[in-house]
Amino acid sequence: MSGGIARGRLAEERKAWRKNHPHGFVAKPETLPDGTVNLMVWHCTIPGKTGTDWEGGYFPLTLHFSEDYPSKPPKCKFPQGFFHPNVYPSGTVCLSILNEDSGWRPAITVKQILIGIQDLLDQPNPADPAQTEGYHLFIQDATEYKKRVRAQAKNYPPVI
Amino acid sequence: MEDIEETEDLEPLFDYRRVQPHVICLNDDKSPASSPKRRKTSKTHVGKKIEGEKKEIAVVNCDDEEDWLPPPPKVLVGVQNQLDEDSTIKEMRLKKQELLSVASSAEDVLRGMDESAKRKSGSSLQASLETSLAAVAEQPSKPPCERAKIVIQVQDKDGTKQFRMYMDDKLERLFKMYADKVKLDFQNLVFTFDGDKIGPTATPGSLGMDDEDMIEVHEKKS
Repeated sequence: MSGGIARGRLAEERKAWRKNHPHGFVAKPETLPDGTVNLMVWHCTIPGKTGTDWEGGYFPLTLHFSEDYPSKPPKCKFPQGFFHPNVYPSGTVCLSILNEDSGWRPAITVKQILIGIQDLLDQPNPADPAQTEGYHLFIQDATEYKKRVRAQAKNYPPVI
Repeated sequence: MEDIEETEDLEPLFDYRRVQPHVICLNDDKSPASSPKRRKTSKTHVGKKIEGEKKEIAVVNCDDEEDWLPPPPKVLVGVQNQLDEDSTIKEMRLKKQELLSVASSAEDVLRGMDESAKRKSGSSLQASLETSLAAVAEQPSKPPCERAKIVIQVQDKDGTKQFRMYMDDKLERLFKMYADKVKLDFQNLVFTFDGDKIGPTATPGSLGMDDEDMIEVHEKKS
């Protein structure tokens, strides 16, 4: 059963995360209303890097793992309408390491995914746009882009 | 005759001297080889034990890797070196096995204490009901000091610090210890586990924490 492989790996990822993870990040499998844990969906928080316009924001990200994980990457989603050139209107992150056909390797850990996405926040890839608004402002209007990024960071204050 | 004797005495002496330096060189080469041999013999007993342990160990990935490591490059390294490497690996295995046995014996002790504690509580109830002092006397009257311990990592922006505490001890104590250590006011710190703020009455046990799990510290922004 391939699901056994996915769940086994995710249980290991979970253990490793609890023992060591970058400061300010959160990553945990969702807990269903009946109290059971669903390892296939993780609710995460990515802090904006200090010293960037993203600083102060704690951005919620959901990882959806398939039964084919880790052969296939998880789908990573910010909230719908998240402002970033490489995030689809649906919130799905477009990043090479998350693409089965380009950068994904089964050895990539949850930690590496989250750090990769944190890097992407401040370093968008204009060669691979996923939304028009974020892309156009990034290309054409740097001041307005900055403003929008800072405003969005304020919209996601720390939970604690 | 005397002259001849002298020369005869001298010749072999010179011969030996010529040979000796070579012998010494050989000894130098062989000396490391001889000690591995000694080690090897002492390890043979261990090897058997380790084979028994291996089945348990096999689950952990890094141990498998170690098992694949031993064959050293035969072309470049002599047989003696190979022996050396094998023996060091065996030494490592021995150490690992010792650690495992220590860990398992500690677990046994804990389990034993748990069971005795359970028996004690169960029997003390009986004893109080029946007031049979004999039953109490039979029980090991050890104080319940063997509580489960845990190592917790506390992570701030600068790094992590490790703390040892009891599973059923309030984490608040650890927070105060941490605050003292970093010389910050405990009231200005927020501690989180899995993204959730840790309440003052929480214990490692109540949060379901495992050994070396990590707690994050955040400074309150005032």
